[in-house]
Amino acid sequence: MAEFQNLLTPIQVHGPPDPGVPTEHSERNRVLGPGSMNYLLGKIGDAQIGPFYLGWLGVLSLLFGFAAFEIIGFSMLASVNWDFVEFIRQLPWLSLDPPPPEVGLSIPAFGQGAMWLLAGFFLTVSILLWWYRMYRRARQLKMGTHVAWAFASAIFLYLVLGFFRPILMGSWGEAVPFGILSHLDWTAAFSLRYGNLFYNPFHMLSIVFLYGSAVLFAMHGATILATAKMGGEREIDQITDPGTAAERTMVFWRWTMGFNANMESIHRWAWWFAVLTTLTGGIGILITGPVVDNWYLWGQKHGLVPQYPDVYEEPLVPVQPGELDAPYMGAPSAAPLPGLETMEGAGPVPQVMMDVSIPIAGTDQVLTWDMEVGR
Amino acid sequence: MKRLAMGTTLAAVLVVTSACERPPVEVVNVGFRGVGMEHVENPRQLQDSVDAVLGREPTEGILPPLGGDPAPPGTHQNVQVLGHLSAAEFTRTMNAVTQWVSPEQGCNYCHWVDPATGVVDFASDNNYTKIVSRRMFQMTQDINANWTSHVGEDRGVNCMTCHQGQPVPNNYFFFDGRSDPLRSYVDNAGARVQGTTALTGEGDNRQSIKQTEYTYALMIHMSNSLGVNCTYCHNSARFADWEESTPQRVTALRGLRMIRAQNMQHMVPLQDVWPENRLGPMGDGPKLTCASCHNGAYKPQYNAQYTWATDWPALTEIGYPNPPAGDTTAN
Repeated sequence: MAEFQNLLTPIQVHGPPDPGVPTEHSERNRVLGPGSMNYLLGKIGDAQIGPFYLGWLGVLSLLFGFAAFEIIGFSMLASVNWDFVEFIRQLPWLSLDPPPPEVGLSIPAFGQGAMWLLAGFFLTVSILLWWYRMYRRARQLKMGTHVAWAFASAIFLYLVLGFFRPILMGSWGEAVPFGILSHLDWTAAFSLRYGNLFYNPFHMLSIVFLYGSAVLFAMHGATILATAKMGGEREIDQITDPGTAAERTMVFWRWTMGFNANMESIHRWAWWFAVLTTLTGGIGILITGPVVDNWYLWGQKHGLVPQYPDVYEEPLVPVQPGELDAPYMGAPSAAPLPGLETMEGAGPVPQVMMDVSIPIAGTDQVLTWDMEVGR
Repeated sequence: MKRLAMGTTLAAVLVVTSACERPPVEVVNVGFRGVGMEHVENPRQLQDSVDAVLGREPTEGILPPLGGDPAPPGTHQNVQVLGHLSAAEFTRTMNAVTQWVSPEQGCNYCHWVDPATGVVDFASDNNYTKIVSRRMFQMTQDINANWTSHVGEDRGVNCMTCHQGQPVPNNYFFFDGRSDPLRSYVDNAGARVQGTTALTGEGDNRQSIKQTEYTYALMIHMSNSLGVNCTYCHNSARFADWEESTPQRVTALRGLRMIRAQNMQHMVPLQDVWPENRLGPMGDGPKLTCASCHNGAYKPQYNAQYTWATDWPALTEIGYPNPPAGDTTAN
């Protein structure tokens, strides 16, 4: 098993670089041409680097992406008083946070999340431009646009997290912070706030497709490698003219699990599993808050939650009536900290979210998003 | 090439595992099977921790209870919260407090020495430490008399529970830019963020992610204070549900309320007493957290008997002043 069954990866052919097929109007945008050979990259893939296609979409996307990266980085650096050593040391914990809840959907002040909004805008522009670039390159090469649409599914989840859901909730503060550990904390807090996200059926579907993608990836990779000595990696040949390799892989899967994909449809399986991971995940996030407040209770209501036997003892001192009633975290009073005359130096006081009011242009009416009645 | 790869792999393994603790790890199932209600312990580290606690037990200066009727009026001067003790019991308590709080510094850590004569003036309140320690006696009496739902009828706490033989306990907090979630230990009564209805439109829950982060921070602080994970108190599937929570969660809620009461009644009022070197970055005095007593153990000092209030009437009953001589209205 532990040897290569064909020449593609162990043998590197170094010759004049392949400039790529000619397309309309695209020659002048190919940079790093005519391309070069790299031995180490050749160990894992094709040895050729470049040419790289850099049209105006690519240039703008890189610029906006670089701007977002710099805003995030310098905001983090500012948060440790421009101390570069501390910046490196604390990097996993540094974060560019969205505005506090009381800002709602208005433009926040500097130091109140304005930089988060700016970085998010630039990053979004960069990603959308990059999407269109993927789409255009595929079209120019007369390919299908499958890559772009798979990427769009991931962008949908990104926009739900940082744009669509915050707008439905009426608060930028609902969005995910930029930061290594802070975005993980957001994930934990999100599940805690909404009564355990594992009971969200769309989250369940997303996990199914995510893990399913990994399984399909392993199955497909293994199947092709296992028939490499019969030419299994020549998938196009095998699709149009099934030979020994394709026949054997299909027999193998029929023997082991009863049915099989064909050489073409396995790629559709994989594509849909990957695309549905972020698509279902995004739907699950989008309705968490605007529609469902507590997924555990939702699960109870719909028979999702098993009843476990009560195995715990009563507390030694019996619970008094009303003793366990505790108020929401809520917004603490703006009163000075106990023992002090002032709030100076304290962090921002957390506020609850406000209801959204949007003035309707040309009238004196106000559109109100009333969470209590859900409309 | 191969040696380089092996060296790199070894270095990577060392870096990745450098934050891990050495096994074994023991998992104790504390709930119904298969629901992840587990307590995780490293027996070696637990043993080290217990040994450290046992090693701190005072070996001298702790006498058996002496009891007796309250000291007659005029026995002491300026005794404001220990008048319910007999003279012998009072002296026994003072000896013990020295062992608990200032074994190296001695009586004069609190009691003032007149620099002119070199004589100890036991009645003087000149040292701020004397005023603080009186307040701490009141606090301990309050905890042991009024908060038995948290500290237990037959256990309670004494000075050693927090102080562990040091003038300043190991765990307390000040306000700073990052301690806002700990305001729940002082004057913020609520910590709930989960709603009670399945659908948003049916309820009134407007708690944001930010409030949730605050509650999360408070909970992790409590978890670290007690050396336990979430499922010590909470049901693994729904943290907010009291019906399926462990009894410890009720005890913890009482503890949180106890800390809040003690901070507001006893720690915050000391604000003007502290000297500058005892204040935090924002200028406030130290305040209690769960860790003040628990010090990283699910029961303070793993329930070592030398930290109980039992046999210390100075700490289990609400005290009153020793009246001046000739006062017959006392008691």
